[in-house]
Amino acid sequence: MATEISAYPREGLERRLIERFVSLRRKHVLEIGCGDGRLTFQYASVATSVLAIDPDRLSIEEATEQQRRRGIHNIDFRVGSIEGLPERGAPFDVALFSWSL
Amino acid sequence: MVHALRRAAGRLHAGGTLISIRPHPTRRPLVAIVTGRRRLPVATLLETAFERNLDAAESALRRVVEEGAFSLAGVRSARFRTYLERPAQMRTYLELIYPPRPRFPRGGRARLYEMWDAAPRGARIEVTESLILNALRR
Repeated sequence: MATEISAYPREGLERRLIERFVSLRRKHVLEIGCGDGRLTFQYASVATSVLAIDPDRLSIEEATEQQRRRGIHNIDFRVGSIEGLPERGAPFDVALFSWSL
Repeated sequence: MVHALRRAAGRLHAGGTLISIRPHPTRRPLVAIVTGRRRLPVATLLETAFERNLDAAESALRRVVEEGAFSLAGVRSARFRTYLERPAQMRTYLELIYPPRPRFPRGGRARLYEMWDAAPRGARIEVTESLILNALRR
């Protein structure tokens, strides 16, 4: 049987570490550097809303396709960077820099 | 990076939380061959191009706390491991990492193949990586 290779932590590790400091339940989350949504999909089901951004268009397309397949409606995946977001707007409860420096 | 953190601060509620997850600044990925409970270290991967980014991230996080935009809520680190069935999977593994990617030191890849050839049946390649998480409060 082929082993699925991942260069990232097993599912749940990052969320457990995050939740030592803040619960993501019913929160409005801004995720910066979401990539293909690997981490986003791990917590979106408990969040109220997620704005997930990444400069890589292909990754965002992949994330959006997965979102459609999973039938998740509270994530807004967008191509972009934090610098590109308007300075003002609806405030978030949590800003998550996910493996982005 | 400082600009990005300041921009994030501007979009957070008072009392909101900023989380930064990134590779650990000092613990480099370690490649080993494991057989049962035996672990033979092969090489520590280099992240030369990435180190500047890691240093910049550390100083940016310190700076926004010093500026008073955030207070430090805490820091956690964790290790995680990936297992590969054969050396050829190393390439796939490294390609999954967003650039700049870690790489073998000089002679490290050859050493992996040599040690793999000498390893008993059932051996696996283990890559141990470390992450660090900073939590800042607005």
